[in-house]
Amino acid sequence: MEDVTATAGVRTAPAPAGDARRPVRRTRSLTARLRPWLLLAAPLAVIAALLLYPIVRVTYLSFQRYGLKEIISGHPSFVGLDNYREALSGSYLWRTVLPNTVLFAVVAVVGTIVLGTLVALLLQSLGPKARAAVIAAALVAWALPAVTGTYVWVWIFDPDSGLVRRTLQNAGLLGPDGYNWFTDRLSFYGIAELNVIHHSYPFVAITLFAGLTTIPQELHEAARIDGANAWQRFWQITVPVLRPVFAVVTVLSTIWDFKVFTQIYLMPGGSGSNPDVLNLGVWSYMKAINQNQYGLGAAIAVLLTLVLLAITAVYLRVLFKEDEIA
Amino acid sequence: MRFIGKAGIAGLTAGVFLLTACGNDGSSDSTSAKDGKSLTWWVMKGTNPDATAFYAAAKAEFKAQTGATLNVQEIQWADAHDKLVRAFAGGGGPDVSEIGTTWTPEFAAAGGLTDLTRQIDSSGVAKDLIPALKDSATYNGKMYGVGWYAGTRAIVYRKDVFDQLGLKVPTNWAELEQTVKTLKQKKPGMLPMPIAGGSSYASAPFIWGAGGDFATDSGGKWTGSLDSPQAQAGLTYYTDLALKDGSSSVGAATWKETDLLDSFVKNKAVMVIQGNWTPKTAIAQNPSLKGKIGAFPIPGKDGGIAPAFLGGSNLAVLKSSKNPDLAWKFIKMMTTGDLSKKWADQAGYFPSTSTQLNSYAASPDPLVAPFATTMLKAGKNVPSAPQWGAVEGNQTVTAMLQSILTGTSVQKATKTASDAITKTLQGN
Repeated sequence: MEDVTATAGVRTAPAPAGDARRPVRRTRSLTARLRPWLLLAAPLAVIAALLLYPIVRVTYLSFQRYGLKEIISGHPSFVGLDNYREALSGSYLWRTVLPNTVLFAVVAVVGTIVLGTLVALLLQSLGPKARAAVIAAALVAWALPAVTGTYVWVWIFDPDSGLVRRTLQNAGLLGPDGYNWFTDRLSFYGIAELNVIHHSYPFVAITLFAGLTTIPQELHEAARIDGANAWQRFWQITVPVLRPVFAVVTVLSTIWDFKVFTQIYLMPGGSGSNPDVLNLGVWSYMKAINQNQYGLGAAIAVLLTLVLLAITAVYLRVLFKEDEIA
Repeated sequence: MRFIGKAGIAGLTAGVFLLTACGNDGSSDSTSAKDGKSLTWWVMKGTNPDATAFYAAAKAEFKAQTGATLNVQEIQWADAHDKLVRAFAGGGGPDVSEIGTTWTPEFAAAGGLTDLTRQIDSSGVAKDLIPALKDSATYNGKMYGVGWYAGTRAIVYRKDVFDQLGLKVPTNWAELEQTVKTLKQKKPGMLPMPIAGGSSYASAPFIWGAGGDFATDSGGKWTGSLDSPQAQAGLTYYTDLALKDGSSSVGAATWKETDLLDSFVKNKAVMVIQGNWTPKTAIAQNPSLKGKIGAFPIPGKDGGIAPAFLGGSNLAVLKSSKNPDLAWKFIKMMTTGDLSKKWADQAGYFPSTSTQLNSYAASPDPLVAPFATTMLKAGKNVPSAPQWGAVEGNQTVTAMLQSILTGTSVQKATKTASDAITKTLQGN
């Protein structure tokens, strides 16, 4: 970083003249050192206002008893760790909310990466026209707002007249009464997985495809001469070379899939009328906004943030390791 | 990032709204300095498409009566609760606001509303008020608002289907069940009466009609009572319509009240429990229903009318108002005179006084009288506990309905719900 800016400073400096050289260079390097921060000041201020302040405020709130009464009187009372105690005690968090959040994220991440990789490999082997068509189709799925995507999946699985019901009934696999997929925890999350994986695989596919194009063809040719089949070449060449790319898309997907909100909240029963299917995000929203227990909702949000920070730490480590190798 | 990004945008928009709201306040202050007093009023933007003419009439009338200027600000029902909370927290709220009946005790208990008991008593405004509305505005024996308009639910049905099968309007629960069975047998293409898991108000007449209640009050201490034998009997009857008599569909377990209307509009249901403001919408969406639909009150267990939830709005004065006297004059003007009837008509609701409601109960319109009769004779309010709003926010009752409709026993589901209600109501 410093090297780059220093060289830049030297390059823009006029041809140095003898003894004036040293002091000029020192002041230059000071401005040069400040310049990136000055340039970053505006975005940093925005981040501080939009991210840092809310995080600090939510953390502060999570140690308070803060309901409607406290809002109106303006005198919240500190309750120490009570909110955390309430969130962490009892079986609801451990048996329902946390498994929903974690298992959902694990399945969604694995599904996204696998599907994304397969599509990336497909893209590589296609001709330019077919490739453009596949990329366009994938980008449509990615560009679709989460709200729209969710309603489409809900419509497909509508228990009374959905596409899936009719198909299964025509195939004789479903009784005449049908089945309400949204009331059962497993099938509810099955649909949510389809929705989320379909929505997020294009990002993985296109990122990996970009990575694939950087692998020298010679490696594959050499392996082919040595008699390696496609399966072996994938594991021996593609995966090791693309390891950093895989690391990045995995961690990003994990973060996204941990905090899904819209896709769960908008499904029938997902906004609270089916307590079996809540995840951390929806639970926090319900406590804070629907029940005006802002302190408790904030505590849940802080817990979710901590989990995400841990994942981000892993993400940063992976990135720095990659730098070291390079 | 997606989530945080959205929250950030929401925060920004909220900020912008607050800024503009402050701007409005500034300007209204300057006008008030110029030509006497002014009053700000929040109205929920409901089903009525355009209320400009009504606002103009209200402004003119208010000017004539008090010489003060009336500022009307419309807010969306969906945002209303949040906006009021924000106004309580940060000021910048109105002098008078329309407040949903189920929110009134909550806001009163939290200290956001002005006690109007003295004014209401001395003016006699409350004498003619429908009791359930009066009840909704009462907290700890004091009144914090005056009922402005209200509505209730009944069964909207397909008259043509009933005529075709020679069915009569059921007058008790046994007849209602028989009607469902007949429809199931003779009209297989339509749902006899879908039972929506997401509509707690549609289940209320059956809980109350069997002698049960959501919660009971003993000396200010509320306890959930959905697990009483009466409430359980009512819920068993109601959900068995779906589970045993086939009145409903599997999908309806996760339906909301709007889905009921939707199925009715699409000719998929013969009977649906709906509010009095919806038949107009149904006909607007499907004009072929015109003349084919009717309504009847939800029958009582052994005849008569089952108690039905009476929802609506109160007008209340915010504690932060600088003109409480003027605010009271405005409330009196809006709830007593011609204006209250005009508004109710326009919004598709009913006025809040028994005298005015009587004329609706005698209406020849088959889509008006059954609702008005229900409201006059059997209108009932949810428990007026300040924490009831949190029970609704928690969706305890709909969670219970949904779990019964998907196979949990009534015993177990009502016990869970009742414990949750007790916990919430005694929470703080």
